[in-house]
Amino acid sequence: MPGLQFSVLLKIDSYTLMRVMLIFIIILGLLFICTLVFFIYKKRINAKIKSWEDQVSLVVSTAVFNLDEEFNEIISKNANKLKNHRFRQYLINEIILARKSLSGSASENIKMLYENLGLNNDSFKKLHNKKWHIKAKGVQELAIMEQTKYVKQIFRLTNNKSELVRNESQCALVSFYGFSGLRFLGVTTYTLSEWQQIQLLNKLHDVKPRNFDIIKKWLQSPNESVVNFSLRLATFYNRFDVYPDVMDCLSNTSLQVKLNTLNYLKRIPREDTAGKLVDDYSYENKSYKLAIINALNDIGNEEQIAFLLKQLHHSDNDIKLAAAKSLSHLHPLGIEFLKTHLFAHEDPWKTIFLQIENEHMI
Amino acid sequence: MNILVAEDEIIMLKTIELRLKKDGHNVITCQDGREAMRKFEEFLPDLIITDMMMPFLSGLEIISEVKKRGGKKIPIIVLSAMGQENVVLEAFQLGADDYMTKPFSPNELSVRVKRYTPNEASV
Repeated sequence: MPGLQFSVLLKIDSYTLMRVMLIFIIILGLLFICTLVFFIYKKRINAKIKSWEDQVSLVVSTAVFNLDEEFNEIISKNANKLKNHRFRQYLINEIILARKSLSGSASENIKMLYENLGLNNDSFKKLHNKKWHIKAKGVQELAIMEQTKYVKQIFRLTNNKSELVRNESQCALVSFYGFSGLRFLGVTTYTLSEWQQIQLLNKLHDVKPRNFDIIKKWLQSPNESVVNFSLRLATFYNRFDVYPDVMDCLSNTSLQVKLNTLNYLKRIPREDTAGKLVDDYSYENKSYKLAIINALNDIGNEEQIAFLLKQLHHSDNDIKLAAAKSLSHLHPLGIEFLKTHLFAHEDPWKTIFLQIENEHMI
Repeated sequence: MNILVAEDEIIMLKTIELRLKKDGHNVITCQDGREAMRKFEEFLPDLIITDMMMPFLSGLEIISEVKKRGGKKIPIIVLSAMGQENVVLEAFQLGADDYMTKPFSPNELSVRVKRYTPNEASV
């Protein structure tokens, strides 16, 4: 009996094994067919793009030099392709690349090509797409191609729920109108990220502001990031005329707003600025306290010496160190003051003072 | 004049080619650094225009290779993107003669190329 059981078991096993092997071979075969189909598809797409590449480069380069006859001939040859939305998108991508690399009349001719082929309508349609990345791409294309006629639609997107759409739209407005393009700051309810603020400042690099008074309104915005960005703008443009409005920001409860206010005041101080900073020292945040003491190093005077001497006895050693540094700068005795201090031979002052002396020597 | 243009963006390449051909030059084009070196040895051009960022061999590597392989007298114009000042300086140290920052005008490139055309240079 045991012998029989064994042979049955053996029979079942080899049968199962055969089935498993068959399934495995079928899966492998399917995988092979899928890979082959994908490979052929990919090859066909690449071949198509390659064929488009030559035609598109010919279309754009003839348009760059405004060679009307040749251009018309090429366009009529490619009339059918121009109905294909994939070809049109490929053309837009290449036109945008060329626009970024060329300047002068060449760049203007590329813009004309984009408009004459109605590619601006393709980009515009993207603004109504539900997918955020397509929407953002549409805005970016219109901005690079300077399609200011779509400004209304783009302006509406500056407060879109998608961060990328918002960023592209805000950058587009600044590309179109420079400082005046920042008018979205008056209505935006979303936070302007640090990165976005840097992007916008970068776009404003060579732009002279017109009607800077509008910044006074933005400094009072309920959107904290707008206040921060406005403070950065005031610092960036060295605007002395908004000083009283910036000073009001010292009473803001946000640490970031206070620190940005401090940055402005350090760059554009008045005689009484240092004293006002000392008055605001009660704000309970170590970074802010340190920032004030460091600012006094740049804009302080002898009137703040008493305050700084008091800070030498603060419980926090970082504040002691910052105060000692500012004192070595503001005190009439300069660095020598540290040696004459009552606690100059006691730790932690001894170590702190030594560190400052060493820094001065370097 | 035989001009070798190395640029990986096909539209830029065609645009430069078209502009230089209009000026009566013989233009040899390539889309990557390796091809540029192959064509350099094959055609021994009178002038090289090269982009900085290219596949296989960068513009800097092309300059250094050209200078090593006996092309010390061949003028090289470098095309660079904005914010690549350090790379441009390095290119000059390696022996580049001129540079243009993107975006640039093809007409301006044409004028710069004229400076290296034998008849024009002597005027």
